[in-house]
Amino acid sequence: MHEVFRDHPIREGSLIYFAGIDLGSTMTKVVIVDRDGKTLSSLVGPTGAEHRRLANKVMADALMRADLSFDQVSYVVATGYGRINIPFADRQITELTCHAKGISSLFPGVRTAIDIGGQDAKGLKIRNGKLIDFVMNDRCAAGTGRFLDVLVGTLGLRIDELGEISLRATHKLPISSTCTVFAQMEIMAWLSQGTPLPDIVAGLHDAIANRVGKMVKKLKIEPEVVFTGGVAKNIGVVNALQEYLGLKVSVPAEPLLTGALGAALLGKELTLKAMAEGKPIHEKELRLAESTFFHTENH
Amino acid sequence: MTAKGKKGFARAKELYQDRSQRAKELKAEGKKVMGYFCLYPVLELFTAFDIVPYRILGDMGEPITKADSCLPTIVCPFIRSALDLGLKGKYDFFDGVVMCHSCEVGEKAAHIWRIYMDPSYYHFLDTPHTVHEPAQQQFKGQLEDFQKTLEALTGKKLSAGKLKDAVDICNQQRVLVRELYDLRKSDPPLISGTEIIEVMVALMSIPVNEGNALLKQIIDEARGRTDGPQKKPHRLLLWGTVIDNTALVEMIENAGANVVMDDTCVGSRAYFPMVEPTENPLDGLSRRYLVDIKCPRTFREAVYGDPKKHYIKDLEHRFGYLKDYAREWNADGVILQSVRYCDIHGYDTPGLSDYLNHIGLPNIYIEHDYSEGALAPLRTRVQGFLELIG
Repeated sequence: MHEVFRDHPIREGSLIYFAGIDLGSTMTKVVIVDRDGKTLSSLVGPTGAEHRRLANKVMADALMRADLSFDQVSYVVATGYGRINIPFADRQITELTCHAKGISSLFPGVRTAIDIGGQDAKGLKIRNGKLIDFVMNDRCAAGTGRFLDVLVGTLGLRIDELGEISLRATHKLPISSTCTVFAQMEIMAWLSQGTPLPDIVAGLHDAIANRVGKMVKKLKIEPEVVFTGGVAKNIGVVNALQEYLGLKVSVPAEPLLTGALGAALLGKELTLKAMAEGKPIHEKELRLAESTFFHTENH
Repeated sequence: MTAKGKKGFARAKELYQDRSQRAKELKAEGKKVMGYFCLYPVLELFTAFDIVPYRILGDMGEPITKADSCLPTIVCPFIRSALDLGLKGKYDFFDGVVMCHSCEVGEKAAHIWRIYMDPSYYHFLDTPHTVHEPAQQQFKGQLEDFQKTLEALTGKKLSAGKLKDAVDICNQQRVLVRELYDLRKSDPPLISGTEIIEVMVALMSIPVNEGNALLKQIIDEARGRTDGPQKKPHRLLLWGTVIDNTALVEMIENAGANVVMDDTCVGSRAYFPMVEPTENPLDGLSRRYLVDIKCPRTFREAVYGDPKKHYIKDLEHRFGYLKDYAREWNADGVILQSVRYCDIHGYDTPGLSDYLNHIGLPNIYIEHDYSEGALAPLRTRVQGFLELIG
């Protein structure tokens, strides 16, 4: 069995690291930071049906990139909808709190954050770096990344080309935002009429902006507004959201990573606070994941 | 109590898991078992006639397959589930049913129940939706009619004395439930929110006097227990629609909070109001059931002048009791929960949330499908809420 050093006392001034892992419905993200909160490495990989094995893999790759071993990571915070499935995590914190933390570290003046991921969309109200209120979409994933995932198939396009294509639209088509299946039927109808693709794609982006924008408006949106999640990589949705809200929307360079970043930073805060108070850092003496973690990697 | 010998919490759990066992035993002994819907069919009347009252509930673990052919899918999933169980024959042991105008869907489902299940005894209480004097008089008249149908069914004339005795027995139950709820005031509470639901469902499945005996055992057991709930960072008050299944509360309690108080109809809402002894027991009964049960299905007019100007004052009048609950049970947050499509709770939620914000009590509104399997997305909301309140 792999020997574990992580529960040894950490001395003041020694080099210590913190990892955040965000197991989303579609993508698994890892960020590793040092004690100053500087990102040393980050990685994004697809989340498969086998959450645990893939979480291990993405974590191992991120460690390799940072040239670290798992022993050197003092604290791991898991977040995202699969957070309870990560055996090597010290603690799980919801993506709501983690996103708020990660986004505030990049945009200290943020007051409203909108995150659209693979199967959910959320609005966060943030004050001085702290989450004070939130809204989330209902069970239905219409208006999220999944909505686009399903509809690109109907359009015969790739997800990463949607943004560019929509910029060529001359006339945005109204597309229903309530249901992915309805939207799909509407698209089929537009296609059969020979409607140009850019107009349809732009209509889809509007549908997302309307649905998510309406939901987030419940929080009484105040600038600065930051937009994150996989869908924030789509310039078409960014524009549509700005238009819907009538406000400028900022997007971080890596919009997928804010949850994992926040998780790593929260882990850092928890550890440094415990150290300052002279309290033990880990509640569990030995996390069951250590052995599985490395063994899985070798196979 | 029964030959099987389980007592206290274990007995409540047993009844929660197999609700109808005791009612069926009593039926085999020759007693009549009557299904009733919602809180308005007066328990004292069943009890006075020695009829076993059995509350009609749903089953969050059972997919709704039959009810969709007679109720729209966009109405209360709890009522759809209850009707579904009826259509599947799970309530075939009833000797009759008493339904009421609890809400619009409840009323429609009552009539559908009558048509599809064709019970040999059926009574519908047309419970008024307002609380002013004529409404109370009307409800009293409804109870008189209800009593007459039970007299016809049993062939027994009901004396005022017998009804007064039933009021006593039912009031005893209410006092005992309060005693039980008092044991949730300590930190950690002596009873978990999950256990409370098991106890409440058990009470609604057996005669009132047996429920009283069970409550006494449970209170004794809880006082002396060492295996009670653990201390957790938060203590929550749970408000909203019917919760007759432990899954939702279990999810909340696993997210890092103890549910220490509730305002739902399989909880304090059903038991806290007492019946005032009156010369004619029906006066006290109609007042207690119509006015004192605080369910959003009953409309209460704004009593403080201009509703806009005196908004908070009016909210205080409507929801002040929840502030008292939070204070007495030391709750630091409120979960407002509703099954999807519950209009009556939906109308009360914005005002209630405004009121809770006004008094500085953090709260979150969650909506669910009355299905065990669909609770996972709510876990993030609840956990996020707990992180947010610190």
